[in-house]
Amino acid sequence: MFLFRLLSFIFGYVNILIRGDGLEKFLNMAASRGIFLWDIRRVGHNEILVKTRLSAIKPLRHIGRNTKTRFNFKNREGLPFMIHRIKKRKSVIIGAVFFLIGLYALSSFIWFIDIKGNRTLTREDILKITAEAGLRVGSVKFRVDQERVEKHIREGIPEISYVGVEISGTRATIEIAEKIIVKKKESQPSNVVARKSGLIKEVLVLVGNPAVKEGDTVIPGQLLISGVIPPAEVLNQGTAGISGGQAAQQAPTYLPTYVRARGVVRARVWYEGYGEVFLQEIVPRETGNLFSRVRIKIADKEIILSGAQNIPFNDYIIETSIKRPPVWRNLSIPVEVISEEYREVEKNRIQRTRSEALDLAREKSLELARSNMKNIKGEFHVLEEKTAEVTSKNPESIVRVRAFIETLEDIGLEKPLK
Amino acid sequence: MAWQDFKKKFKRQMSDMLEIPSEIILDLPKVVLVGDLQVFIENHRGIVEYSAESVRINVGDYEVAVYGEDLLLRNILPEEICLEGRIKSIQFVR
Repeated sequence: MFLFRLLSFIFGYVNILIRGDGLEKFLNMAASRGIFLWDIRRVGHNEILVKTRLSAIKPLRHIGRNTKTRFNFKNREGLPFMIHRIKKRKSVIIGAVFFLIGLYALSSFIWFIDIKGNRTLTREDILKITAEAGLRVGSVKFRVDQERVEKHIREGIPEISYVGVEISGTRATIEIAEKIIVKKKESQPSNVVARKSGLIKEVLVLVGNPAVKEGDTVIPGQLLISGVIPPAEVLNQGTAGISGGQAAQQAPTYLPTYVRARGVVRARVWYEGYGEVFLQEIVPRETGNLFSRVRIKIADKEIILSGAQNIPFNDYIIETSIKRPPVWRNLSIPVEVISEEYREVEKNRIQRTRSEALDLAREKSLELARSNMKNIKGEFHVLEEKTAEVTSKNPESIVRVRAFIETLEDIGLEKPLK
Repeated sequence: MAWQDFKKKFKRQMSDMLEIPSEIILDLPKVVLVGDLQVFIENHRGIVEYSAESVRINVGDYEVAVYGEDLLLRNILPEEICLEGRIKSIQFVR
């Protein structure tokens, strides 16, 4: 049917109004002669509206004469008539042609250049190089030689290890991979300070002047290894007598030397945790009973769309989801649909024995202590894990436990000198 | 007429025996309805009457009358007619 419509459109068809008495006869004759008529519609007492192809007009005239019917054309449709109509409007055709030419011409320039993958290089740097090779905004697409541009960029910017130029439509995409240049090691003078408090167990100085010794207790931020090395004179004061002659010859340097202090300072660090568990506890438990309600809120008025007004549960958990129409600029429609789900809850009493509660509290306290240990950097050993019940004089319905975890870890933190 | 009846009976028996569709042997119309929207009538002999409410089509021995609203002849071919509209009833008129 679609194909038929298409053909009719291409060859053109007309709507004709046929007037007369023997309309049925007219139709029968047309059908028997193989004239194709479609969408036949009765419009008046002895009038019908018929669609037919252009080529059928001549034989239809003949039939009309035989059956004493008259017809006139209502409207003409299809490609031949359209062409005829457009022919009368020359400026439209000219405009269309200009449009096509303009579209084609404009699409043969490069209007956008995307650069991907540059991290340290700026867009301007790259664009400057590509412009030398003939790729710039506004250059003709067919004149841009991608390989030449790629080569030029590779030669022009030594930091680039890979470059790919792709042109799609009016957009040129330059993909770049920069060489990763290994950073020079920082040689800025620095101290090593304590990251956290602990008891120093071991001090291993690689560079610098140790400020603490084994057995010291440090607090966070305390200096562990100093990057300031005092002048040799100060150090050698005790032996000045032996090398006195040399010291006199050389100009004594009173300025201290600054180094980047490095070393390992291991300390024992404590982590604490606390947990408490009631012997008797009321825990809410869902019964599985559900009740849902949908309300619509218009301005300040609420209408219940589905569900009862009263909630049939004593204790429940509410889960609400509110749907609002999207807000556009400052305009918002004050309507919202609120759907709520009530889940019934019953109170469940749990009775624990003292030892059960103790175990649970221990676990809780240790877990808390371990969570504090998460920020340890590097290796560490757990030296001891210990829990202790906190007791009070009066008998309580609660078990309290305190946990201690002792670790051995590197607490050094590099801190640049001013 | 006895001879005519005999011929018809014989043809029907033949078509039953050989499993040939009876509309071909007996020259009967084939009426296909698509809901109340469309009627296809094959093997017709022409239109007797056509208006927006009723269409009568000659199919040889009798007429097929279609009643409805806004009836529209979608197309007419020498062998087939397609009617569209809101069909209310179809009758065979002797």
